[in-house]
Amino acid sequence: METSSQGTLGTLAALSHDLATAVERAGRSVVAIDARPRVPTSGILLKPGLVVAADHTIRREEEITVTLEDGRTVPAKIAGRDASTDLALLKLEEPRTGAAEIVGTADLQVGHLVLAVGRTKGNHLGASLGIVSSAAGEWRTWRGGRIDRFIRLDLSIFIGFSGSALVNAAGGIAGINTTGLARGLGITIPASTVSRVADELAAKGHIARGYLGIATQSVLLPERLRAKLNLAGQTGLILVTIEPDGPADKAGMMIGDILVSLDGAPANDISDVQAKLGAEFIGRDIAASVLRGGALVPLTLRISERPSRIR
Amino acid sequence: MAPRISSIASRLAPDAAAVVDRLRRSTVEIRDAGRGSGCGVIWASDGVIVTNAHVARSRQPTVLLSGGRKFEANLLAQDAERDLAVLRVAARDLLPITIRDSSTIRAGELVLAVGSPWGLSGSAALGIIHGLGWSDGVRGGPWLQASVRLAPGNSGGPLAGADGRLVGLNAMVAGEMGLAIPSNEIERFISQALRGRREAA
Repeated sequence: METSSQGTLGTLAALSHDLATAVERAGRSVVAIDARPRVPTSGILLKPGLVVAADHTIRREEEITVTLEDGRTVPAKIAGRDASTDLALLKLEEPRTGAAEIVGTADLQVGHLVLAVGRTKGNHLGASLGIVSSAAGEWRTWRGGRIDRFIRLDLSIFIGFSGSALVNAAGGIAGINTTGLARGLGITIPASTVSRVADELAAKGHIARGYLGIATQSVLLPERLRAKLNLAGQTGLILVTIEPDGPADKAGMMIGDILVSLDGAPANDISDVQAKLGAEFIGRDIAASVLRGGALVPLTLRISERPSRIR
Repeated sequence: MAPRISSIASRLAPDAAAVVDRLRRSTVEIRDAGRGSGCGVIWASDGVIVTNAHVARSRQPTVLLSGGRKFEANLLAQDAERDLAVLRVAARDLLPITIRDSSTIRAGELVLAVGSPWGLSGSAALGIIHGLGWSDGVRGGPWLQASVRLAPGNSGGPLAGADGRLVGLNAMVAGEMGLAIPSNEIERFISQALRGRREAA
């Protein structure tokens, strides 16, 4: 069916033809990854020899294989992984030319028609159609990963579709889909985040994140105390664990202290702490204040890099 | 500049409605004594109707045409393994569905399902082709896998491409996926069934 004959086709048939062509085009860079029991999962050939996948679908460290569009199955190694953005980078043992045709997600709006394109068992290209159901700005995952745009999908993410490509109506890849970041709902990690994380994973094998060496729990602050100390937030974070020799320990923080401000901003819940744990904060001294014995105690914290054993 | 809606969206709706209307006229409802209803597809104008074996279980199920005509059909052949059955009604003026070679289908193509989900006659659903192959944990195959919302009552009804040509017969729901018997399998079954019948006659 030629594009030039679309004038004679019904609109629905023409749309159908375009969608199938978009799937075919994007499908050239969509691979199947065997890195877990039973069902393979999808991934995107981001650059020659480099495949990006959803981290939670990579369940083995070794004996990983990748099946390419032409049917060849190639061994691969993990080049790096980051649970906070649910992304993993695999390096093919046989470098290959050709890479995904990446487009941005900046122009994606609620209501846009999109496809998820994955590769499933038996090297079958599979597709799912839907619309963008939410689109918003930068957000942080429950594990603290920074994602450039919030893109939620109204389409079926079938088994093996975490790691599938989000494809626009023109066949361009706008991101990678996963159910691992929002309680099983289909979310797209935008192409800009994918390439930023992939570059860092390729260079270092992990995503550098700041570290305080604390575990906290949110607590309600007594009204009287808030008034007395002029505290804006209703809640603070009580320190329940302090890692020996970690930044908090070195700064003199103690179990039972309630963290109420960090770097001049209120610390009401864990997202306020995670906002200060980006790679750009590593090595910086920031001001903190804790409630101890009913009084505010100012402290200085030097943010270090998260050690590999707890990454 | 105010955002504009291109004419494609406004052309799509009537186009889809026309395809559905055409499909409805080649879809029949099948009722079998004491059971819920399913659907069938008019295969040939001389009364040949194809459906699922699990829809037509008795020798003489009742067939209702979209125009309201009612027939007592004869079961010509069935294959429980493939979940196919072929019936004949005493009519020579039926509007048969147009059949497409199911091996030409591509992932991402739009498909329409017409049937009676939960008993709602003539309901349509839009979806897309996911793939053609075998499904985990489902017997038989190959199946035409479509991301389309089906329900009990869609069984035996048509799954058609965007131009209204039949690509499969809806047979099963597996999770979020609808499974249909590819048109090429149906063609093979019917030609065998009708040939067998002539030999027996």
